[in-house]
Amino acid sequence: MKGKIIKNSDNINTKIREILESLISKQIFDAVFVPVRVPTGESFTYLLIKDKNILKDCIPLPPIMSVQGARAFKDLTRLGKLKYKILCVMRPCEIRAMIELSKLRQVTLEDVSFLSLDCPGVYQTADYIIEPEKYDKSFSSLLEKWEPEGLRPNCRVCNHFSNQEINSDLHIGFYDQSLILVPLTKKGEEIFTSLGFESTDDLADWENRKNELLRRREEIRNKTFTELHNQTNGMEGLENFFKGCINCHNCMRVCPICYCRQCFFESTDQLRRESEDYLIRTEKKGGIRFPVDRMLFHLGRMTHMSLSCVGCGVCEDGCPMDIPVGQIFNFIGDEVQKMFEYLPGRDKDEPIPVLTYKEDELHEYEDAQETK
Amino acid sequence: MEEQEFLPRIIGFLCNWCSYAGADLAGVSRLQMPPTLIPIRVMCSSRVDPLFILTALLRGADAVLVAGCHPGDCHYQYGNYYTRRRIALIKKVFDQLGLETDRLRLAWISASEGGRFRDVVTTFTQHIKEKGPNPIKKEIFL
Repeated sequence: MKGKIIKNSDNINTKIREILESLISKQIFDAVFVPVRVPTGESFTYLLIKDKNILKDCIPLPPIMSVQGARAFKDLTRLGKLKYKILCVMRPCEIRAMIELSKLRQVTLEDVSFLSLDCPGVYQTADYIIEPEKYDKSFSSLLEKWEPEGLRPNCRVCNHFSNQEINSDLHIGFYDQSLILVPLTKKGEEIFTSLGFESTDDLADWENRKNELLRRREEIRNKTFTELHNQTNGMEGLENFFKGCINCHNCMRVCPICYCRQCFFESTDQLRRESEDYLIRTEKKGGIRFPVDRMLFHLGRMTHMSLSCVGCGVCEDGCPMDIPVGQIFNFIGDEVQKMFEYLPGRDKDEPIPVLTYKEDELHEYEDAQETK
Repeated sequence: MEEQEFLPRIIGFLCNWCSYAGADLAGVSRLQMPPTLIPIRVMCSSRVDPLFILTALLRGADAVLVAGCHPGDCHYQYGNYYTRRRIALIKKVFDQLGLETDRLRLAWISASEGGRFRDVVTTFTQHIKEKGPNPIKKEIFL
């Protein structure tokens, strides 16, 4: 693979900022969608930026994911496609969620270009806001060492942290205090050339390190998933897993994929029942828990959105009870995606498996025994 | 104490055009089968949201049967193909979580297959009888 290496980029944010400024100056894009630190300093938010002066404050690779980029982007195209060109600067998992949302017809990606970044992972938001300076410091060394310690659990097992199977236009990698620019699509190629770059540099070093990291991550991933599998064995295990759940539905609210504006679990149909209905339910069991259907909520979400789960872990960050909900979704998602040989966010033209079919498949799941 | 024989309670989602008519045929043909299936008529087997199945099992049904037209015979052309994918998905999720996958069955029963309907209900009931009641039945804190 060939690309452009920009040497001595000790502060990656500054370097990326320069690139973004130049893209706005050259009017290649009308605006960019990029994270910015909030004025009080301890959090980040996405901004749609037109003005170059505001662009000076952007942090393309923040140390936390206070909001999932795809979730933030959703409102932009609610009424149809954009009437201007923008560049979204996002982490790989955010771009993958964007692609999934476009398949679910929740966003329109026309005139949207993506700039993906090598992502070493993020810290948990709750940890970060207590000591932002400490985490800022360790985050800058993270890009050198890529150690998984202290990161959000899902980031530690992430196997799509770089340009692996991603539907992005332009990718920026980091290696040895250099910035590595790789165009991935035709659109990306155009942006790349308009910046005055040429794909002449050999990227073997970066790629080798990337593969080495991937190998290490896969090891941790397999180990973690096996542990999870043992932990959630049967209803008792599940019960234990979700024991702290307070039914706040935060995991659903922060999830980029859960797009239903009126969730079944919060709909009036579900909540308004005759009192007798509940009493009938106690007949077999002797008693039922209130509020009802806590486990149904989690299992329902698993069956509804696990195929599109990008494993970003934002649900776990949002959980006030520290339930490893992101990990179990990642684990379940991984298995069901493998079954359909599907990878969310890989290709925007690849349909979500439950929205398509093959005539001759999955016979082991049907009961087709012929009888007289 | 005298043990009462365990009679499973199976929730059956039957598609309006094939399986429900098949069940009807089994009835008018006076075919004998265990009284374990509680039928719920749906317009197409693909109408069955995973939540329906989960709700039934979590609230104490011993098993769930989803029945539709044979592949290629769907009255909405492709509904049952989607159903098959969805059932496969649910079973995979169950499998990973260590929940019992064989309490859920997908069967193709056409309107003319009264006998097949009886066989599916009989064998499924037998299987669940051998397995015993759904353990979730006793779980209060779900």
